Amino acid sequence: MKAVVALLCLHCAAIAHAANGESPRPRGVGPEFAKFYKDPSTFTCISNPSTKLPVKHLNDDYCDCPDGSDEPGTAACAHLSHLSPHTPADVSNAEANSTLALPGFYCKNKGHIPTYIPFTNVNDGICDYEVCCDGSEEWEHVGGVRCEDRCQQIGKEWKKVDEARQKSLGNAGRKRKELVNEAKRRRKEVEDRLMTLGTEIEGSELKVKQLENELSEVERREKGKVVKSGEQKVGKMGILVGLAQQRTNELRETLERTKQERDASRTRLQELEVLLTTFKEEYNPNFNDEGVKRAVRAWEDYAARDKGPEPDAAHDRDLDAMVKSDKDNGLDWEQYQDGDDNEADVSYTFVSYLPSFARSWVDQKLRDFRVTLIDSGILADNSRSSGSESKSITDAKNRLEAARKDLETQKKSVDEHDSDLQKNWGPDDVFRSLKGQCISTDSGEYTYELCFLEKTTQKSKKGGGGQTNMGNYDRIEMITVDEEVPADGKGLGTGERWALKYENGQHCWNGPNRATTVVLGCAEVSEIWKIREEEKCIYRLEVGTPAVCVGDGAAVGGPGGSGKDEL
Amino acid sequence: MSVFNSLSNRWTSFLLLCLAVCSLITPAVMVKHENFKTCAQSGFCNRNRAYADNALSTSKWAAPYSLDPASVRFDKGVLTGTISKKTTTNEIVRLPLTVAFYESGTARVTLDEEKRQKGDIELRHASKAKKQRYNEAEQWAIVGGTTISTGAATSKDAEKGTTKIVYGPASKFEAVIRHVPFGVEFKRDGETQIKLNDRGLLNMEHWRPKVDKPAPEKKEGDDEKKEGEEAMAAGSDKEMAEDESTWWDESFGGNTDSKPRGPESVALDIEFPGYEHVYGVAEHAGPLSLKETRGGDGKYSEPYRLYNSDVFEYEMDSPMTLYGAIPFMQAHKKDSTVGVFWLNAAETWVDITKATTSANPLSFGIGSSVTTQTHWISEAGLLDVFIFLGPKPQDVIGAYTELTGYTQLPQQFAIAYHQCRWNYVTDEDVRDVDRKFDKYKIPYDVIWLDIEYTEGKKYFTWDPMTFPDPLGMNKQLDEHERKLVAIIDPHIKNEGNYPIVEELKSKDLAVHNKDDTIYEGWCWPGSSYWIDCFSPKGREWWKGLFRYDKFKGTMKNVFIWNDMNEPSVFNGPETTMPKDNLHHDHWEHRDLHNINGMTLVNATYDALLARDKVEDKHHVRPFVLTRSFYSGSQRLGAMWTGDNQAAWPHLEASIPMLLSMGVSGFPFAGADVGGFFGNPSKELLTRWYQAGAFYPFFRGHAHIDTRRREPYLAGEPYTEIITQALRLRYALLPAWYTAFHEASVSGAPIIRPNYYVHPGDEKGFGIDDQFYLGSYGLLAKPVTKEGQEGQDIYLADKEKYYDYFDFWTYEGPGTVNVAAPLDTIPFLMQGGHIIPRRDRPRRSSGLMRYDPFTLVVVLGNSGDAEGTLYLDDGESFDFQDGGYLHRRFSYASSTSTLMSEDLAASTGKKTKEYLKQMEKVRVEKVIIVGAPAAWKGKGEVELSEEQGGKSSAARKVALDWHDKEEGKAAWAVVRDPGVQIGSGWKIAFP
Repeated sequence: MKAVVALLCLHCAAIAHAANGESPRPRGVGPEFAKFYKDPSTFTCISNPSTKLPVKHLNDDYCDCPDGSDEPGTAACAHLSHLSPHTPADVSNAEANSTLALPGFYCKNKGHIPTYIPFTNVNDGICDYEVCCDGSEEWEHVGGVRCEDRCQQIGKEWKKVDEARQKSLGNAGRKRKELVNEAKRRRKEVEDRLMTLGTEIEGSELKVKQLENELSEVERREKGKVVKSGEQKVGKMGILVGLAQQRTNELRETLERTKQERDASRTRLQELEVLLTTFKEEYNPNFNDEGVKRAVRAWEDYAARDKGPEPDAAHDRDLDAMVKSDKDNGLDWEQYQDGDDNEADVSYTFVSYLPSFARSWVDQKLRDFRVTLIDSGILADNSRSSGSESKSITDAKNRLEAARKDLETQKKSVDEHDSDLQKNWGPDDVFRSLKGQCISTDSGEYTYELCFLEKTTQKSKKGGGGQTNMGNYDRIEMITVDEEVPADGKGLGTGERWALKYENGQHCWNGPNRATTVVLGCAEVSEIWKIREEEKCIYRLEVGTPAVCVGDGAAVGGPGGSGKDEL
Repeated sequence: MSVFNSLSNRWTSFLLLCLAVCSLITPAVMVKHENFKTCAQSGFCNRNRAYADNALSTSKWAAPYSLDPASVRFDKGVLTGTISKKTTTNEIVRLPLTVAFYESGTARVTLDEEKRQKGDIELRHASKAKKQRYNEAEQWAIVGGTTISTGAATSKDAEKGTTKIVYGPASKFEAVIRHVPFGVEFKRDGETQIKLNDRGLLNMEHWRPKVDKPAPEKKEGDDEKKEGEEAMAAGSDKEMAEDESTWWDESFGGNTDSKPRGPESVALDIEFPGYEHVYGVAEHAGPLSLKETRGGDGKYSEPYRLYNSDVFEYEMDSPMTLYGAIPFMQAHKKDSTVGVFWLNAAETWVDITKATTSANPLSFGIGSSVTTQTHWISEAGLLDVFIFLGPKPQDVIGAYTELTGYTQLPQQFAIAYHQCRWNYVTDEDVRDVDRKFDKYKIPYDVIWLDIEYTEGKKYFTWDPMTFPDPLGMNKQLDEHERKLVAIIDPHIKNEGNYPIVEELKSKDLAVHNKDDTIYEGWCWPGSSYWIDCFSPKGREWWKGLFRYDKFKGTMKNVFIWNDMNEPSVFNGPETTMPKDNLHHDHWEHRDLHNINGMTLVNATYDALLARDKVEDKHHVRPFVLTRSFYSGSQRLGAMWTGDNQAAWPHLEASIPMLLSMGVSGFPFAGADVGGFFGNPSKELLTRWYQAGAFYPFFRGHAHIDTRRREPYLAGEPYTEIITQALRLRYALLPAWYTAFHEASVSGAPIIRPNYYVHPGDEKGFGIDDQFYLGSYGLLAKPVTKEGQEGQDIYLADKEKYYDYFDFWTYEGPGTVNVAAPLDTIPFLMQGGHIIPRRDRPRRSSGLMRYDPFTLVVVLGNSGDAEGTLYLDDGESFDFQDGGYLHRRFSYASSTSTLMSEDLAASTGKKTKEYLKQMEKVRVEKVIIVGAPAAWKGKGEVELSEEQGGKSSAARKVALDWHDKEEGKAAWAVVRDPGVQIGSGWKIAFP
């Protein structure tokens, strides 16, 4: 037996009506239409009052009314639909409103929920118990079919399932609250962090300013050192050391970059070779496709060729050692540079014979004079033209740079947190608490994994092959769905639903980049209900989660939900 | 080119690079010509074309074949004799001739080769191949119509040097056999219709031992043999130097054919004097009326080829071979149709040329100016040709199908809508699609599974991961009388632990290679073997594989699709088997290639007749779809036109292709709706469904790399329009089923081209984009061009035609324009017919079984109308025991009476039971289109029913009359006459 479809609210109303219905209605008429069928002699077509029929034409298995209202209990008017091809003779009046006036054949389903079944299913020889548990739509017994009334049994089962479902939905509502609270907490965290960051940034800005001043002061001072790094005066050794250091640094950086590039290429090459090996093994010599065959032959030739030296671990270790800093390798350039400084200072020692106030005065004057000369262009600015900057400037610069970096990081962090707060996290921010949570399920030959707001993946159960990325989280959307809901409630139903869009997954051979739409319905626990490949490498997951439940347990829908217009 | 020249080199190469890159991104969809032979690359075709060129280039050509008058015997409708062939070395080769005359009026000319017949030849390479020319094609193709004529007799008044046989209905046919050179003229009413060997192109390459010559005969600088060149040279030479380069072996695409029997082709010219149009030699993607093939403007330069092949991404308007072969050709001129059937299963090429002549003085003033000449060339086998002298198209098709069998009367579901895709990926996927169709109220009957349902392409298995519960799936389908069709191909995966392949090997039932050991090739599963269905043991084994207890997961609503049965071999020459492969009884694959596909379907058909003990006793009609076919395949199921493309030209081409199948005796044919490769636009998809609703076999299908396109996914307005087209098909199923019944007893096409319906209308002989459905005067011309909003329809006769959907009235003859916005199918009703319909939309055709009927009476100029209805349970063979009803409805204007009469040929033990079952099924409505104005205001008709052999008392029912609106027909409706569909009744109109 198939699952019972839950058709809820419409029919609750119907029950109420049925309770106070007095006169027997013609077969197939629902209580809300009973009023049209009261006249004992004439029937007036519901949406075409100008057409009146003798009552004997009601349910006589011939379609008289342009709106089909004279045949509530047969399939005679089932063709009155925009889905059927029409000729003038199919409707008695071309101008008339030929939309079916009735929603279908009314099954009383005593003991269960009354419902309408499409006219196309009336007297077709099939007992449609999943809609019409009383079998009343097969009243003509065509071909000898007899549909017993199964409403007691079906109703009972349904009630059981429904109770479980209600209970589960109740739980789901509670879980959602927890999720919302968790989301609030996380949001608060972000907000708090933002606050802290604000203070930190103020501090950092101040620090940067100080360091900027410090640097310009140091530079100014350095400019005044007359002979500092003067070409003749500085020892050749010093220049050489400076150049050597510079060159070594350059070489090291280049080596490092080259090594990185080499590693990346090596990885890509390996990837390609694996790919081509698989290609060679799995390709179909299909239809004598010359292009493919050529490619395979070329690959075979390639694979057979000598590939040159294998990667050598020892060599790599040497390389690693080489790219370490000089200090780590036991070479301290500063020693030599400092020595340099000392050497230069010697020439000025005469100043040290002066009294200390005079010494500083002279020194100051000299420096000022020199700066004046430099500023007026008479003297060359040695401090700039020189390859090696004075250590104090470098230090100051480094300090400033570090402080600036800190500030930048903090600002970035602020932006991130800001956009985090701006981002659409769904109703009540609830998806905030789902982020990073993963659920998985088996379907066909694959295991599918969904990590909320991160990515979706697929892994073959047939062994071999790693995970395939089916898309990275991109955004939240509302989409309209129209799906059946099985008795256990694990279905999307009809209306607007939240959907998480995952884009730009692994590229698909002969197809697009993989992408997944995750459509969410309300459930007590997060689980994947259904997986469909809607078109090549475009997936749709139907997923239950308490996050989208509303108070009574139905899925959140409609634009009324919070956060819809964000982004 | 000039544009390119004006550009700098750099720019040009950039453009070229772009082109190259583009072509990488969207691979150009095109057939790979280099994978398939041209005539010049096919040794025997090239030799025979050269032979023809040589013969036709000289007026002195003397065909070297003569019938020895002394050898001629005529006994009981069969003439025998010996033809002598004088070889270039002046040897005489003896060729036994048989000319048989059948009761049906069909004549058959058969020529064999004595030496080979006796096995008096030596094979090279120690080959174990059979020595005879293949003489078993008839065992597969011919099932009837070969009763020898008792009335055929030799005529005394034969001219000197000829033998004349008079035969056929009322002895109106004559066969005049010329002795030297040998030739035959077939006449009807004294007028020549068909000439054999009139141009002297008869050629039967006799057996000869290979003589290794010391030096090659090639002339200097002539490394490549050039078409016709040597033959031309030979013509001037006294001693003809034949082109031997392809006698002993032949290579193509890296495969070498070892040809152990040497050259052995057969060829013959067949002329249709005064006939401008020829049809047939299906299957090709080209116009219905065949084109000339020896070059020139708008003509092909290659012959029509018949060599069943898996042609990847085949091209339009081409004589290139496709998946199936029917070597049957009709020639048509005003009020006369004749035909030939070339019974040969080897690779065959047919050249067609047309000669314009001034009126032939001997033809008594019949002023036809065009004569069609054909040249039939086969690689091996007998020369075996059947002659049909008409005079109506149906006479020829009927005689041909009497021989090769009528189309199977399919189960009703098989002519409803089929939903296919490569692939529905899981059983849950199938269930979901099934539910979706119901949800969207779209009818369908069958869902299909392509190769992915199997475990690793091992047929008769289910992938346990994706199809864990096939029975549950099938049961869900069965709830609404829906069916599953699963694919089973002839290649069996060569893999351990697969019981099927182990049995195949241990029982030695697979096709062998030239060394007579099992042949291994590649197909979907990779390394594979091929079941040899020519072997009786092989067929018996194959039959057993389908039993429910063997092919677990199948049940009574599961049917079979045989694909790749050309056979398709991915690494074989021309994507098929090597010709020197050996089949049962050591026939070479070369001998029987074109029949191969049919043998598989035959075995599958037999298998479906008995899948468990119940079915062993009570057979249900099998359903098998095949891609490859031959004359006779129509007895076994349906075919489709293979891997087409989601492009407008393919939609357009589908109509002439299916019309061609219809007049070739295999009308149960369809093309993949939507196009197999690629993604159709929504407009194309919609138009394709509108056309597909008129394909005898109606299936939507799509390649694995395409987007999903089930009708409910198209979105509005497309889904709605597609649903209307589907529901139109379902409403008209009673008419379709009756047309299928007609085909199953007469071979008549189901969709019919203009020439068939109007054989006297010369203007319509070339029309192949519109057609009639059955005998109902329903004329459709689906839109096959993008953005087209109107359609010109050709009306052949002076008759009224009404638009099916709004009763707009047209009058023939001439061309009329019918509005055709996207939601409209150009579809007319010719006056004079009565069309049975069932208007109630249901989920599947099985659920319409007890629905009432609507009769549409279409009154034309005469005011009379008639139509028939055939109905049975739509699934069993009970109809063979009389379990059916067959009615003729007729309206006579003279008496203003509509009657239902019994047409049933006879009753049987199931008649009563069936009629009882249908007792409650009534006519709910009679619609009269073009109703006489005299009915206005008369509100009633009087009807009486036949009950127990007597007429019941008359009763009155209401008649609604509707006056005509501008341009449209008046119409009337009889409200619920309530008469039984299966009994006699009469309705008297005012």
